[in-house]
Amino acid sequence: MKVSSVVWLTLVWVLLWGTFTPLTLVGGVVVAVLVLWVARQAPSTDRLPVRPLRLLALVGYLVYDLLVSGAEVSWQVLRHGPRACGAIISVPLLTSSERVVTLMASALSLAPGAMALEIDHDAGVWYVYALGPRGASDVERTWLRTMDVQRRVLATFGTPEELARVRRLIEERVA
Amino acid sequence: MITDVVSAVLMLAGALSCLLGALGLVRLPSLLSRLQAATKPQTLGLFLVLAGTALRVDLKSAATLLLVGLFQVITAPVISQIVGRSVHRSGGVRPEVLVVDELAEERPQDRPS
Repeated sequence: MKVSSVVWLTLVWVLLWGTFTPLTLVGGVVVAVLVLWVARQAPSTDRLPVRPLRLLALVGYLVYDLLVSGAEVSWQVLRHGPRACGAIISVPLLTSSERVVTLMASALSLAPGAMALEIDHDAGVWYVYALGPRGASDVERTWLRTMDVQRRVLATFGTPEELARVRRLIEERVA
Repeated sequence: MITDVVSAVLMLAGALSCLLGALGLVRLPSLLSRLQAATKPQTLGLFLVLAGTALRVDLKSAATLLLVGLFQVITAPVISQIVGRSVHRSGGVRPEVLVVDELAEERPQDRPS
């Protein structure tokens, strides 16, 4: 049981009560320990690196992305409606860390009209659904956007090798 | 006064975003596309409404609002991925509204019969 998990769950508990008293604090610790004991998991071996500036940049990008994403989906609804098209494309998956994959899928699902559909660890591929593409050039743009999200997440949480690989793949595709 | 105006603008923008999301649920053609309308403009709308609310209440309650937003961001992508994957595996995808489906090319058994 990790101390950081207990602290985090206790914080959530105190925030849920909305009051900071000894009772909510102790109750929070009890509940946190209980929850972590019930939902025991094998200790994960991979540690996420801490890069505060990169993390801040990623959060900033996601907020910006959420605004663009909301506007784009709304546009599809108003402009095309029942005739709106989509595409399911495969994109290389460049990390083996379960945590980073989870973060990547979540980050992508906030991005413009796209979401992770299926993740194939063995083949190193993930399948992404995107709302909007109507032709081959749109599909290409979706691929690049997905890789861009992947690049940003790997810049924050990945290893330098993974980041270099994603950069190289993007450059090869653009060239 | 200024707080009221900013708060009202944020809330109305949020409501508009939620409305567009609801409109998407009615107008879009397939489950996968409706899933986009159900998650994206809704998340944005919720954030805007929460931001508008946070300006009007005391700090203590605003912290709880932050929690609401956080849970939305954590849960929405997970749920949409699970639902999307299930519908594709069970063959509920409409191929005619997809430009390309590379997952079905890879796994033909997912195709609706």
